[in-house]
Amino acid sequence: MSGDKEKIEALAKRLREAEASGVACAPLRDDMPEGDLEFAYEVQNANTRHYLGVGRRATGRKVGLTAKTVQDQLGVDQPDFGILYADLCIGDGEEVAMSRVMQPKVEAEVALVLEHDLTMENPTVAEVISATAYALPAIEIVCSRIANWDIRIQDTIADNASLGLYVLGGPKRKLEDLDLRLCGMVMENGGDQVSVGAGLACLGNPLNAAAWLAAKMVEIGMPMRAGDTIMTGSLGAMAPVKPGSVVEARINGLGSVRAVFGPEES
Amino acid sequence: MSVDIKGLAARLDEAALNAEAIPQLALEVELISAQAYEIQAAIIARRLGRGEKRNGMKMGLTSRAKALQMGVEDVIWGRITDAMVVEEGAAVSMSKYVHPRVEPEIAFLLKHPLPVGATALEAQNAIAAVAPAIEIIDSRYKDFKFSLGDVIADNTSASGLVIGPWNSAIEDISNLGVAMSINGAVRQVGTTAAILGHPIRSLVAAADLSGRAGETLEEGWIVMAGGATAAEALSVGDHIVVEVQGLGRAAFKIEA
Repeated sequence: MSGDKEKIEALAKRLREAEASGVACAPLRDDMPEGDLEFAYEVQNANTRHYLGVGRRATGRKVGLTAKTVQDQLGVDQPDFGILYADLCIGDGEEVAMSRVMQPKVEAEVALVLEHDLTMENPTVAEVISATAYALPAIEIVCSRIANWDIRIQDTIADNASLGLYVLGGPKRKLEDLDLRLCGMVMENGGDQVSVGAGLACLGNPLNAAAWLAAKMVEIGMPMRAGDTIMTGSLGAMAPVKPGSVVEARINGLGSVRAVFGPEES
Repeated sequence: MSVDIKGLAARLDEAALNAEAIPQLALEVELISAQAYEIQAAIIARRLGRGEKRNGMKMGLTSRAKALQMGVEDVIWGRITDAMVVEEGAAVSMSKYVHPRVEPEIAFLLKHPLPVGATALEAQNAIAAVAPAIEIIDSRYKDFKFSLGDVIADNTSASGLVIGPWNSAIEDISNLGVAMSINGAVRQVGTTAAILGHPIRSLVAAADLSGRAGETLEEGWIVMAGGATAAEALSVGDHIVVEVQGLGRAAFKIEA
């Protein structure tokens, strides 16, 4: 067990060092018990403890692997989750320096912001709806600390579900004014269409993803709280970006949001 | 090179009538687009001769991704007749088809003619109503394999259309979510934005293409805007449902 602990800490450190140096690391899966997802979450948790310990402020959670096709690719039958920090939140159209992202890609998502805690066991969709203050259009900038995105399920879970940064747009909208299931999504990079989809690409409805997350967080003793943001998962395929990319995502009824990337850095 | 337009049209027309696949024409003759459209027109002439009525047109390769996949830059188009309309909610016999596939689309109903050179604004003003729709495509070629000339000659694989409720109060159609389910399982998800970036562009292109062929889009015609997602193959017993955000749904069944 103490051997496990050392291993977990060592893997967590490998990810932190990759993040700090900007040099991607080798995959972690070969150093974990095969197929053990709990072990991978232990690595993620070790970094969560570390970062909270050094004063980073948690602002919510992301749900990943919400598309059936992506789950199939990674050989899993459920989503995964990662943690959001305040310093990872970018405003609409605010330029992102390339030094802040590693192997970035973008996904268009619905973000939900809570006005009530979700501490009850196994929160239902109804309870998630009641607890939600509003929804925002969002872009997740996914990044991988693993070289060449050579990831399997254990790698991405350990690596905070491949979260990079998250961009929030506005204005806020109430759930009763939205069709989160059939809302169309189109994302353009420099005016070229790079991803299309709709709400139901995310576990049938982004609210399903939020309910799954809320239940999971209660299960692990870190429930979602009032004020938390939930990045519910991608509405279409992820798209690559480059220095200078200007990405706009439009979600019908919810609005639009832009992720702007800075110039190449030497 | 001279091409036997009538002969090739007869071959494709009979393949459709018998629901039997034929070898690609490209294996024996390389058709340029103009010749392929002549064959298509000749097939339609045969069908009108049998009593079918022309009632619209369809656009193809309107999705940028699909056009690139086919290695072509331009959209293509086909002709629609009343015999192709499948009643919404009906069951259709598989025996009518070779190897049918379905695509989710939206359909426009025109309230007045739309000539060559129509602007997006004029196109918008010519729309009487918009409906969620399903196009049944069914290549008459073996294995659904064809060259660009082949598919144009084959009326761009057009075979049937299922039209849902007509919405006459038209709002912003640029980014409506689209879902296609077969037997309750969601198989394709997309948006009308995938249709040339905005489906109105498909109607503008339709007016140009049809008008230049001497067939100005007419009042009362239906224009199928083109697939919003990739197509799905069908099997006997399948129940297909297409939903479009704010427009409603269209459905039909395939039986033996």
